[in-house]
Amino acid sequence: MITTTLTFPGTVHRLENGLTVVHQHMPATPVVVADVWVNAGAAQEPQDWMGMAHFLEHMVFKGTERLLPGMFDHTIETQGGFSNAATSHDYAHFYMAVAADALPTTLPHLADLVLHAAIPADEFVRERQVVLEEIRQAHDDPDWVGFQALSEQVFPDHAYGRPVLGTAEILAQRSPEEMRSFHQRHYQPDNMTVVIAGGIPLEPTLDLVRQAFRAFPTPPTSPPAATPGKIESWWGVRRQVLRIPRLEHARLTMAWMGPGIDDLDAACGMDILSTLLAEGRSARLVRELREERQWVLDINSSFSLQRDCSLFTLQAWLAPEVVDAVEALICERLSTLAVQTVPLAELERAQRLLVNDFAFSTETPGQLAGLYGYYSVVAAAADSYSYPHRIRAHTPASIARLVNTYLSTNAYASTVLLPTT
Amino acid sequence: MLFHQPGSGTDFRLFGSVGPGNWPPVTLRSIHLSTVSNSMTLSSPAKRPILHRTVLGNGLTVLVIENAVADIVSARLLIKAGTGREARSQAGLFSLLASLLTKGTTHRSSMDIAEQVESVGASVGTDASVDYSLISLKTVTADFETILALVAEIARDPSFPEAEFDLERYLTLQSLRSMKEQPFTLAFNALRAAMYGDHPYGLPGIGTEASVANLTPDDLRQAHQAFFRPDNCIMVVSGRIQPEAAIALAEHYLGDWAAPETAIPAPSYPPVPTTATHAVIPQSTNQSILILGYPTPAVHDPAYAALKLLSTYLGNGLSSRLFVELREKRGLAYDVSAFYPTRLSHSQFVAHMGTAPENQAIALQGLRHEIERLGQEPLTKDDLEATKNKLLGQYALGKQTNAQLGQLLGWYEVLGLGVEFDQVFQDTIRAITADQALAVANRYFRDPFTVVLGPELATG
Repeated sequence: MITTTLTFPGTVHRLENGLTVVHQHMPATPVVVADVWVNAGAAQEPQDWMGMAHFLEHMVFKGTERLLPGMFDHTIETQGGFSNAATSHDYAHFYMAVAADALPTTLPHLADLVLHAAIPADEFVRERQVVLEEIRQAHDDPDWVGFQALSEQVFPDHAYGRPVLGTAEILAQRSPEEMRSFHQRHYQPDNMTVVIAGGIPLEPTLDLVRQAFRAFPTPPTSPPAATPGKIESWWGVRRQVLRIPRLEHARLTMAWMGPGIDDLDAACGMDILSTLLAEGRSARLVRELREERQWVLDINSSFSLQRDCSLFTLQAWLAPEVVDAVEALICERLSTLAVQTVPLAELERAQRLLVNDFAFSTETPGQLAGLYGYYSVVAAAADSYSYPHRIRAHTPASIARLVNTYLSTNAYASTVLLPTT
Repeated sequence: MLFHQPGSGTDFRLFGSVGPGNWPPVTLRSIHLSTVSNSMTLSSPAKRPILHRTVLGNGLTVLVIENAVADIVSARLLIKAGTGREARSQAGLFSLLASLLTKGTTHRSSMDIAEQVESVGASVGTDASVDYSLISLKTVTADFETILALVAEIARDPSFPEAEFDLERYLTLQSLRSMKEQPFTLAFNALRAAMYGDHPYGLPGIGTEASVANLTPDDLRQAHQAFFRPDNCIMVVSGRIQPEAAIALAEHYLGDWAAPETAIPAPSYPPVPTTATHAVIPQSTNQSILILGYPTPAVHDPAYAALKLLSTYLGNGLSSRLFVELREKRGLAYDVSAFYPTRLSHSQFVAHMGTAPENQAIALQGLRHEIERLGQEPLTKDDLEATKNKLLGQYALGKQTNAQLGQLLGWYEVLGLGVEFDQVFQDTIRAITADQALAVANRYFRDPFTVVLGPELATG
């Protein structure tokens, strides 16, 4: 295990216009990754604009007054780089990886796309077809269908319960004008973080970002209001069973709401719990359910930090007949965990796995840019490097408290997928 | 971890999950399904780390790439035998063998091994590919020797315990069922079966229900004995470690591994079908999946580099011809791409897309048109240069981590091309002319095998 206390190796800068810039110089790499994170994910949508944030992410690549559709991709890729973008509830982000010496000529293009998306009407109609294909493909994926259903169950009155992709019906009613107003409202400097990581020092980076990221869109006079809704905890077990065509194995997913970004120590503790329970063959539930009883084909756990509410999940692939038994056994094991403290060796194993995983996930500029951008959106970039320290600070007692606080076997949601018969 | 980035998963994490994504949902602008391609777009950093290559007395090739940037050492043992060595009746043999390697040795039980790896927060993975098998490890530098010792034991003395065998075979059979849930996998399996006939590349790497049901621990023992021997293996170590130290460790833990006297017989492959077939698979999906496959030659063929170039031009990235013509200009697909995997024996050039069922006829026609056009019209000078830059740039970007670079160079050794192929390949790409690319496209892009999977009404 890495024993030194890690300090954040990057720097965070706030430019005059309010834009946040995060930079890390990695002298050994010839690559630079530029990653623009915008606090404009699906949670910023009015409810009847569901899918707008994601659709806009596609339309950003459809050009500006200066760049024709496709020109950006062509320029980046013919120089040996690549670009992509992604949208979730809390963010949209746009990134590219290029040779370091190509950054001065390419960063202005990326900024132009993100800041000045033209959203032409004909491209809007055509790209909507692409998004509809993406929706069709998602509906053919049972795990996507299952997680969507689970999200609705946990967040029935909040944007986190709605699909990032939106629906065909709602997208059909949207217009390029509406999209432009969403863009103008949210793509503002105080709502954006530009991360630059790789083979370029700080000074030229700041100059480049200052030059490229100016002339932000004029905010609309009557901006559409976001309706994220509210998140409420519940008592009792919310359980739903869905019948899915073409399904070969049942799925059981159980979910709990977790601590928020105001309690990062607890959030890191939930990561430890997730590891103790289901990361690796010697983890409790994997060992018992997959290796010994052989009731599940696989089981995993994940803890995800989001701005408004985090989520802890356990998911098993299994035969329909054993779903109830597995759910009952998991509850039993969680109850045990609440009253019997975890042996120190077991805790240390989980801590070591997570701390090393952190080291393995901070090797390349792309990994770092993603990490810093994500933390910048949900918390603050420098918090990312407090992770190993926070993980190591946990004790058997602190873990037991978390189980008691967050993983109640009397208040959780479960979604079961079964084959249609 | 608190932070989930799509596609950032550590490469061969041992006890991984069968399912994809978790919460929170993230949608990517473009996500390619080409994990089946095992493509070469893994790549190398520009400040080239120094490479050391040596062969131990017992024939084990050791490559060491010193790269002190991170406190990490990654290593992999590549074994020059994979699913391409399987008899049809034993399909899935190497995959099952790979999953049993970490489940018991003559000195350790499955749980002992898992606890040893996980207690130091390392990862150890095993995998079987078509042309090789793999054991990989990743640790912080301080733990490297401990885990290397374990990996050496796993490679040399697996015990294939009966109970573990039964469990893994059962899980494999269940994975075969899972494949039926994934429309692309189902369609791709059908294409592969049609294009390869009796050739071992024609079956899924994990086998078929019939073949897997018949495998026994003795089959695994025999395959292990025949192919897991030092003169058939490449050890690659990369990361914060001095070459002398890495070689000394390899010598210590693997140097006394004796190679049998008898040589390994050269593989022999049956001929592949030459007449294209067209399959329609009715499934009640929302999207239709279209896949075309053109039979193409192996890595040693002179056409190899040109086919890689054509594949890049057509199907790699957001500026690729298929992406621009079929998605950006016509809105027919979200996912459309092409790949040409690097193979010891026959390869295939595959293009695929998902589209609304009512569009499948024009989409299929569009795919074919774009591909076969390259056999009629040469690439323009600009397109040729742009494609070369793209291919070489992405090749370099794919060699960023220790694990990626180690994997690529080790694979070149497996293919019999040697580490120098890293340079040779790039030089060959640079030298390709538009006429050469035209001639290759004209020769190979003629009469594709096709598979269309989708709702019954539309597939009539």
